[in-house]
Amino acid sequence: MLASPAYASAAAEGAEHSGPLFSIFGLDVSSSTTSLWGIIVVLALVAYFASRKLERIPTRRLQIAMELALESILSFLTGVMGSEKKARQYFPVLASLFIIILFSNYSGLIPGFGHTPGLKAPTSTLSVTAGLAIVVFFATHYYGVKAHGIKYFKHFIQPIPFLLPINIIEEFVRPLSLSLRLYGNVYGEEMVIAGLFALLPLFLPLPMMFLGLLFGFIQALVFTMLASIYISTASAEHH
Amino acid sequence: MEIHVPDLVWSIINFFILVAILTKFLYKPLLGLLDKRKLEIEQNLEQAETAKTESIQAKEEYLKLIQNSRQEAQGIIDRAVKVGEETKDGIIKQAREESEKITKRAQDAIHFEKEQALAQLRDEVSTLVVMAAGKVIDKSIEKEDHEKMIREFIQEVGDVS
Repeated sequence: MLASPAYASAAAEGAEHSGPLFSIFGLDVSSSTTSLWGIIVVLALVAYFASRKLERIPTRRLQIAMELALESILSFLTGVMGSEKKARQYFPVLASLFIIILFSNYSGLIPGFGHTPGLKAPTSTLSVTAGLAIVVFFATHYYGVKAHGIKYFKHFIQPIPFLLPINIIEEFVRPLSLSLRLYGNVYGEEMVIAGLFALLPLFLPLPMMFLGLLFGFIQALVFTMLASIYISTASAEHH
Repeated sequence: MEIHVPDLVWSIINFFILVAILTKFLYKPLLGLLDKRKLEIEQNLEQAETAKTESIQAKEEYLKLIQNSRQEAQGIIDRAVKVGEETKDGIIKQAREESEKITKRAQDAIHFEKEQALAQLRDEVSTLVVMAAGKVIDKSIEKEDHEKMIREFIQEVGDVS
């Protein structure tokens, strides 16, 4: 479907890095960053309105939905990490990862995203996924050191010191794989939708957009699951 | 596919901003509420369990009390019946003894009266006989003979009667 150079260029044009819009403190702000801000504002408003008048027995749909969402995430993390105590300890980082990735993925399905300056699915940019993977990388080692002190680094020479280089490489491959997986999936999906949109804008992209809902969720889940496994392993008792 | 450092830095900064916002406005209040609700439900369940146990205990105590009362009432009835029976037996026995005593007293009185009547009769008969005999033989007889005769007569009269 992307065989035609015209469709390919149209898709690539929309999905690729669109360059800086402006700078703050010398840091360039691109469309993915502004989109991320937009997502954060929306999430902040939802969070604010959901928790504004909390009821002991909820009747407001927003509170019920948020309770359900948080309980589901907590239950998922408990399943992955093995205990609710652990899941609760790392809940803010891991739940925020899931939420920001999910909303970033879904933002690509909104008409105009990827084509309009200032609007671009943040996770379709490698820089953003790499940023999130770096957060996971440092969070993993931070929680590892917090749990075990300096002894945490002993695992780099286990089971035998000979494996030190491989263990180090493994640690660096993790963020690489995390970021590339997420970026590749979302970018690929965006490209396909853009291609289909170029072919027939009205109905053709719809099936792919439905699939995009599923893929967006799965990618957020996979990223969060791997992050929770890394953190859980680093802070595990037997480490 | 290249990494733009500003985007990367912004994504990290934005992520931490999001963590801070969601922790303040979503995670803490909602998870706190869920914890509170969970605790409340646990407490309510515990209270319900305690109330159930207490009600079962109260029921058992009540049944025990009823059983004890029933046993006690039965005991009282049994004792009352026993006392009644004893009283009845005592009264009957006493009445019987009393009647026996009365009968004996009556028999003794009859016997005494009879003896008295007989003695009186004997005296009167002897007097009459002496008088009659005196008139018949018209002479006085010796006192000793007289008494002997009376006795023999009386003996004979007694044998006849």
